[in-house]
Amino acid sequence: MRIFDLAIKDLKQIIRDRRAFLFLLLMPITFTFFFGWVFGSFGVSEDDPRLPIGWVSQDTENILSSEMYSLLEASDAIRPVVVKKEDVNKVVESVQEGELAAAVLFPVGFKSETGTDETVKITLIADPFTPAGQTATNAIQAALTRLLGSDQMAQISTKAFDELEGFDNEVEYRKYFDEGFNLAIQAWEQPPLGLRIVQLTGEGAEQEFNPYAQASPGMLIQFTVFGLFNSASLLVIERKTKTLQRMMTTPISRSEMLAGHILAMFCVVFIQQMILIVLGQFLGLEYFREPIALLLLVFAFALFATSYGLLIGVLAKTEEQVIMIAMLSMFLLSALGGAWFPLEITGEAFTAIGHLTPTAWAMDGFQNLILRGQGLESVFLSVGIILAYAVLCFALAVWRFRYE
Amino acid sequence: MKLIDITLKDLTRSLRSRTIYFFAIGLPLFTAVLFYFAFSGQDEDQGSFELPITETIIVNFDKPQAEFGFFSAGQILTDFLNSEELSSIVHVREFDSEDLATEAINSQDAGVAIVIPEGYTSSAFNPEGEVDIIIYQDPTLAIGPAIVRSIVFQFVDGFAGAIITADVVSQQFETRAVEVSQALLQEVTQEYSTWVQSFGQLQSEGEHPLLSIEAPTTAREPTGLGTQIITQMMSGMLIFYSFFTGANVAQSILQEDEEGTLARLFTSPTSRATILGGKFTTVFITTAGQIIITLIATTFIFNIDWGDPLLLAIAILAIVIASSSFGIMIMSMLKTVRQAGPVLGVVLTISGMAGGLFTSAMPSVPPAFETVTLFTPQGWNHRLWKLAMEGAQLGEMALPLIVILIMGVVFFVIGTLVFRKRFA
Repeated sequence: MRIFDLAIKDLKQIIRDRRAFLFLLLMPITFTFFFGWVFGSFGVSEDDPRLPIGWVSQDTENILSSEMYSLLEASDAIRPVVVKKEDVNKVVESVQEGELAAAVLFPVGFKSETGTDETVKITLIADPFTPAGQTATNAIQAALTRLLGSDQMAQISTKAFDELEGFDNEVEYRKYFDEGFNLAIQAWEQPPLGLRIVQLTGEGAEQEFNPYAQASPGMLIQFTVFGLFNSASLLVIERKTKTLQRMMTTPISRSEMLAGHILAMFCVVFIQQMILIVLGQFLGLEYFREPIALLLLVFAFALFATSYGLLIGVLAKTEEQVIMIAMLSMFLLSALGGAWFPLEITGEAFTAIGHLTPTAWAMDGFQNLILRGQGLESVFLSVGIILAYAVLCFALAVWRFRYE
Repeated sequence: MKLIDITLKDLTRSLRSRTIYFFAIGLPLFTAVLFYFAFSGQDEDQGSFELPITETIIVNFDKPQAEFGFFSAGQILTDFLNSEELSSIVHVREFDSEDLATEAINSQDAGVAIVIPEGYTSSAFNPEGEVDIIIYQDPTLAIGPAIVRSIVFQFVDGFAGAIITADVVSQQFETRAVEVSQALLQEVTQEYSTWVQSFGQLQSEGEHPLLSIEAPTTAREPTGLGTQIITQMMSGMLIFYSFFTGANVAQSILQEDEEGTLARLFTSPTSRATILGGKFTTVFITTAGQIIITLIATTFIFNIDWGDPLLLAIAILAIVIASSSFGIMIMSMLKTVRQAGPVLGVVLTISGMAGGLFTSAMPSVPPAFETVTLFTPQGWNHRLWKLAMEGAQLGEMALPLIVILIMGVVFFVIGTLVFRKRFA
């Protein structure tokens, strides 16, 4: 009973502190919506998610110009935005500023023949060091290859017919060539061979991109770690106000004292996580598809957060120290754990070191459930490792508390 | 002189505070180290982008057939992905079961699985053929699968082109009632394949015969992707921590008020204006010092090139004015130091977020968000900072600078008026 009394006392203290509401709920909810919104749009039109590229044709009468534009329009990755010839400098600025992923300048006199004195090249302006620039470059090169390929097909067909049957005159030759070119361009609208991309979600169904898939579990993990300062502060305040020392003169044992604090901390962290998970579910993430797996993962991470908060509360001497340690922990564990950005975009060393932290395993566990659509078995490893960290932090906290 | 004395007194007090060191210098540098460690691997060669190696499984059901001279398009694709030139991008394993391949992705043993269906080659020679290569990918990965898709797409496009060539020849000959033989179709597809291979080879060597690729020019030297990411992230973090420092130091006014020393100061012959002026000067000096130390440290430790010193100095001055005056205004509206903690955390974090400081490394953001940043001093400071780093003309920097100065004056006036009324 004393354990529950102590836990209820701690909970009341936490609930009365407005900071708890701010840092446990308001901030993670705000950050989740914010990053989900930003990740979801990437500066493109909500109606058309493709990367915008500037299209400047200085030779609009050229058939190759109009066909190139059509091929760019048909791309899955990019959408051309027509820009007037006079605004070429503005287009370059737009690429510099990231408003456009790239810009294509179609010159006067462009022909498909190469290696002559009259060869004129199309200019592609793109930053090769950004993912958007690289994606746009690849897509534009693919469209140009199709354009030049169509020209090549027409040449091959024309040559084959000429060798077999011959043309009566130059007009017939030209007509045959143009017909072949048009047939080829039309064929590219529905190519006979393609790629089918399947995102494996465990249930075999394709899943649409959800921008909250990174932000939701990431912010949940980040603010669970940061929210520890609420619970840890309680211990520090108790020590500072001599309440702890007074409690030690009562019949309540140290174990019961620890248990009471742990129970309160656990309840706070668990409820915080569940609220954020409900929010994530509301945002279209399938958290509750495997409820037992989810419960295991949330339980394990709450235990880790609780024991870590206890450790901070036992080690820190002042509230100031609590906040500093909590902030450092939040930064370190969030960055290394892949809560801020997917570990895929960092180096191998960083990813390996990241997986020395429980937050990386928590992130893996959540993504196994919501993105990969996997089941209970997929969280066992994550849960095991997180619980191991919980036991370690708890053992250290208890040892330090007893020593104190 | 009294103003200087008060400033020195407050500076000494600030410099004794571990919290100031932690938030002003420790945390920004710690953040820089984290980002540097995360992204520095992207700069192995100056200007190159190091791609992650993607674990790729190939399941090739397209076996060589005598009918096509033991030629297998699937085998060519497999051999290509296994080639030395792609070994730094993909690590390939060959499976003979689609189920095992998908299982490997589910267990995170591989990022991508490519399944080449049976009869893929015959589709290449059959004008009516329509067959797709299936790419299964891990939904949590983006870059690796995109790279593999791009490689396979180029390959598939080459084969699709061969089919289209045969189709075009067939249609044109049939229109003119000329018989087209299988041998001719094979010949024309082979001719197209030869062309696309040599064209692709030129492209991969960077010698596209009809395309000139240029990077958008800036006044700065091009840098690797890793350095770019770190620089952009640090520019956002620098402004964020400057605002934090400004508000933190301004908090000393509340602290002295709570401790009672401020009231005692006001009973002295020193005017309130001088006392408050001394405190505000401390805020300015500490914030400026924090920015300069962080800039010097990041320049030497992480080799970040912040750009033209004169333009940078203008941007630094703007940040100091904005962050200090914003901090003074916020603190003037609070009663106790205890209130300051959550308010600082929430107000500065949310306004920093709205100002685009946490998304500074993203290639582009929603247009609506660009508008939101205009309502925060951090947003304008970030614009000015980016212009300074890019070596913009002074004229281009005029607008954000003027807006920041106006905001700074407004915040300062509000803060001063509120404090004066409170301590009247």
